[in-house]
Amino acid sequence: MTIGIPRALIYWKRPQFWESFFEDLGFRVLLSPETNKELVEAGVRVSDPENCFSTKVFFGHLLWLDGKVDWVFVPRLKTNAEKLEYCPKFFALPDLSKILVRTPILTETFNEKKEPLEGTLAKLGRKIGREKREVKRAREKAFLKEKDEEREKRENFFRKIEEKTTKITLVSHPYNFYDDYVNLRVKEKLEKLGAQTIFIEETPVNETINQRSKVQDKDYPKFHWEFGKEWMEKIDAILDYNITGAIEISSFQCGCDAVLKEFVEKKFKQNSIPFLYLLIDEQTGEAGLQTRLEAFIDTLR
Amino acid sequence: MKKTIITFARWGNYTIAFKTIFDQLGLEVIPPEPTNPTTIAEGAKISPEMYCFPLKTTLGNVLPGLRKGANTVFMVQNIGGSCRQRYYGAIQKKVLEENGHQVNFLDFRATPRDIYRTIKKISGASSWQIIRAARFFFKKLRLIEKIEKKAQFYRPREIKKGTTDQVLTESLTELEKLNKEKDFPRLRKEILKSFSEIETEKDKKIPRVALVGEIYTVCDPSINFDLESKLGKEGIEVHREMDITYHLKKLVFPWKDWTIQRKINPYLRSTVGGHGRDAIYEMLHYVKEDFDGIIHLLPFGCMPEVTVRPILEKIHLESGIPFLSLSLDEQVAEAGINTRLEAFIDVVRNHYNSKQ
Repeated sequence: MTIGIPRALIYWKRPQFWESFFEDLGFRVLLSPETNKELVEAGVRVSDPENCFSTKVFFGHLLWLDGKVDWVFVPRLKTNAEKLEYCPKFFALPDLSKILVRTPILTETFNEKKEPLEGTLAKLGRKIGREKREVKRAREKAFLKEKDEEREKRENFFRKIEEKTTKITLVSHPYNFYDDYVNLRVKEKLEKLGAQTIFIEETPVNETINQRSKVQDKDYPKFHWEFGKEWMEKIDAILDYNITGAIEISSFQCGCDAVLKEFVEKKFKQNSIPFLYLLIDEQTGEAGLQTRLEAFIDTLR
Repeated sequence: MKKTIITFARWGNYTIAFKTIFDQLGLEVIPPEPTNPTTIAEGAKISPEMYCFPLKTTLGNVLPGLRKGANTVFMVQNIGGSCRQRYYGAIQKKVLEENGHQVNFLDFRATPRDIYRTIKKISGASSWQIIRAARFFFKKLRLIEKIEKKAQFYRPREIKKGTTDQVLTESLTELEKLNKEKDFPRLRKEILKSFSEIETEKDKKIPRVALVGEIYTVCDPSINFDLESKLGKEGIEVHREMDITYHLKKLVFPWKDWTIQRKINPYLRSTVGGHGRDAIYEMLHYVKEDFDGIIHLLPFGCMPEVTVRPILEKIHLESGIPFLSLSLDEQVAEAGINTRLEAFIDVVRNHYNSKQ
């Protein structure tokens, strides 16, 4: 039995985890290839024109998997462990996927407001005919792998911070940051221009800093989105290190980013850190991006 | 402290009812500017580009009031769960401050308790006064909704074109002037009488079209280019379920949501924020009622409505009911909407005639 996982959107929320989880339960896992032009075009053709670019890319990956696997895994992510919501567009993904593909969709609602992750995973295991014991082992293994990765990221972060180059924070969703086709290889371009990139989610949030920000009056509203709270806290944390500039990458028609951008921008501007806002969609040209990045790097010097 | 002068966001004909609350409590209020291309352009100019359309229009409505000296803005938040509406207050406050307006934002959650508290705090009125103001508000609101429904019924049937719209406008003006609860029953009677005096063609068989979608665009005629009136004049009866009473009922009594979820389970198994689920539920309902067309209205890029649109299109393909989805924003021109509407009306008429 093969389970297909689209390498877009929700995959990037937990890379490693799902792959490891299903492989441990004895399934073959097929990931869709890295995003390329054909995938994006296929996705754009089938999805609603006003949907956000990231969702369009997701549908492209989904169509690629159609017919190649026994199940496509599309979880319905609703709330995370902190009881904060994911983007509302994630809520309907399994239903929208069902309209698009013939392959059965394997899905489960991950709503930690109502049920802890362990329970949901056990339910998911039952759906694919695996016992609780097996699911538990697979889950723990997957968590360990995730933890290893996190530690590596942390070490990486401190190594990068120590360097004496231009350091630029990239504020973005993981599915925009890790997908090199989608963000038009912005990391590579910045490195060529001699700047080091630090992804905002790599920033470790210190508990003490957390405590402090609870006490002080926040100048942003209490976000009900998990990434909203995470971003603002991590921006607070990263301002303590020596950062040269900040870039926010958001996909066209991302509703949540429209809200967050206002507060992210305000935060950086208050601390007089240069800020660049990049909007990406299927029509963004590489040459235009290159020019803007070069100009931005020039302002930093 | 300076004297509080209130202004608030406009919402179609219901603005009249909202104004009553403040008037009854003896607060000074500058009513919002009616939505027109100038206010929309003004609002869009200073608001974040990627934000949804209602934020821009409501900001445009408030701006003239602020220039006239208002210093307090009323803004409701959390109208529909996951949607961006929750941050309207925060964003508008930020945007206004950046443009040099010092405003006090009353950003309250849409629960009866929070509304009560906010009003109590700002007006200092007694509970009895607030309850009386609320009662008057609901009376007016119910009447507005009732005459809107009546107008939808009379428009396609009237003999002299334009009579209904005239009666509707006159009634709303009268209602706006009224500020004594004592006179309300008499006015209500008069208004209803003037509606029943409209000459109509009896037993006329006419196609029916339903409006579904985002509540603000569906309810406000100045945002959706007077869609109801346009369709009515073309001899089409318009139905819509969305109004404030519907929304308030859903806020207070959760079981409506449970029914909706049960009915739409084959299509969508979760909430998507806003009134996303309601659109599917209503469309299924109207298909069952054998309507001749559905118009789906949404602000450009509205997250819940964009998410459910593929599902609505699926229902449209399954049932064969004519379907038109219109996204509105500051760059949409009336001429474009008219052209699409004319084509749609032809489709509706054909669909209706083929059924006979």
